[in-house]
Amino acid sequence: MKPPIHIENLDFSYGNISVLEQVNLSISDKEFVCMVGPNGGGKTTLLKLLLGLLEPQAGTVSVFGENPTAGRKWIGYLPQHAHLDSKFPVTALDAVLMGRLGKTRGIGPYTRIDRAMACDMLNRVGLEKLAKRPLATLSGGQRQRVLIARALVSEPRLLLLDEPTSSLDDYVERELYDLLLELNEELTVVVVTHDIGFVSSYVDKVVCVNRQVRIHPTSEIDENIIHDMYGEHVHMVRHDQEHGHG
Amino acid sequence: MGEFFQALVRHSFLQHALLAGLLVSLSCGIVGTYVVTRRITYLAGGIAHCVLGGMGVARYMQVVHGWAFFEPLLGAVIAALGAAFIIGWINIRAKERIDTVISAFWGMGMAVGILFISKTPGYGEDMMSYLFGNILLVTQRDLLIIAGLDLLIVATALLFHKQFVAVCFDEEFARLRGINAPFFYFLMLALTALTVVLMVSIVGIVMVIVLLTLPAAIAGRFCRRMGPMMALAAVLCALLTTSGLALSYQPDLPAGAAIIILTGIVYLATVVLKRQ
Repeated sequence: MKPPIHIENLDFSYGNISVLEQVNLSISDKEFVCMVGPNGGGKTTLLKLLLGLLEPQAGTVSVFGENPTAGRKWIGYLPQHAHLDSKFPVTALDAVLMGRLGKTRGIGPYTRIDRAMACDMLNRVGLEKLAKRPLATLSGGQRQRVLIARALVSEPRLLLLDEPTSSLDDYVERELYDLLLELNEELTVVVVTHDIGFVSSYVDKVVCVNRQVRIHPTSEIDENIIHDMYGEHVHMVRHDQEHGHG
Repeated sequence: MGEFFQALVRHSFLQHALLAGLLVSLSCGIVGTYVVTRRITYLAGGIAHCVLGGMGVARYMQVVHGWAFFEPLLGAVIAALGAAFIIGWINIRAKERIDTVISAFWGMGMAVGILFISKTPGYGEDMMSYLFGNILLVTQRDLLIIAGLDLLIVATALLFHKQFVAVCFDEEFARLRGINAPFFYFLMLALTALTVVLMVSIVGIVMVIVLLTLPAAIAGRFCRRMGPMMALAAVLCALLTTSGLALSYQPDLPAGAAIIILTGIVYLATVVLKRQ
């Protein structure tokens, strides 16, 4: 089977500002990967490249062996939820049903099968009782789970979540990761996040994105990753040390 | 009020006016809901004002050059669709500030209309009815055209309801799910343009945006789903145009202005009385 994510020698820049340089990354089937890095380090850009919303200047991106525009039908995507209008008139079920677009018929309303699947997914994320509730009346954690259900109902093989826990308290966050761990038995999960410390107990691999991309197996989690995450001056310290020893 | 209903039985122009208001309410409820939830009120206002350009040019061609077929309504449709397409395209393509672009079209559309109308003999009355509407001048033929466009708008909205809702709610996600988001965005703007044209005959260019958006905005305070919001907005629009028409009849007030004032009062009342 082709790997869910395979990136070779990728360069990306906005105008002449380089955002990602010489990125190589491969993620295998059913891995649970966490993507970390400072703000502006290129995490969201990398996700958009995977989704085919941006084109790299150099290098290749493939999603299950296809180019991202074709491969994205396999991706269940959870955007950062800040960009949605919280007053928009839809119920939880309506929002989940949108995940069926592209799978359901083109004309007319959603089918009975779509509805059944959407209800199943709400059940899965523990919100079956809130299906008819307006999205606007749900809490941040509930809304996040609705959007995860929306991503899941499209029957993805790869789940990409962009900062799913940014507005959640610790308890809800732990619940969410338990859910992701359960889902990981069937599909590949990539989570973009800030709080590495907590996530490290769940994931197989940590990908640090800060202009360049470095990959660490979880067993290696130590201050190296923290160093990779937090910027240039940390690298400089390390280079100095290497210098001193060499 | 009573006199209005007596007159309604006697005068066909009042029956036409009433029917026009009811027909337009259907499109108003559906399209107004898209406009309000997608937050493109200002864009719709820009389209409305470009309509004057189209009507002015058409009327000029009719009167001065004898192009009988080029009716102001046809000019309005062309101008509205053209403006919707161009503004939408700039919005998607260029990284310009969209409100500035809309303002430019808003003013230029008006200016083109004023230039052509001022060069058309006997322009005074035309100008007034384009700008402020004249629901009492709706003919039987107008009604047929309104009904036809209405049918087109309602059918499109029904067939592609799920795509429109998805594009309004989260355009990026819709695109990732294989929906041709730009296509549905343009289709939505086209429906908006046609609805604006329909409503111009009732309340005129200057006030159309109020009747397009406020019924949906009022409905949005009570409904938590798009479908019911559209239905309630349509009912409100029908009630408001009918009552505006009835109230304005006896004291011989301009119907368009009466409808708008009434709509505004109801909207402000719901804002004050029902805080969300």
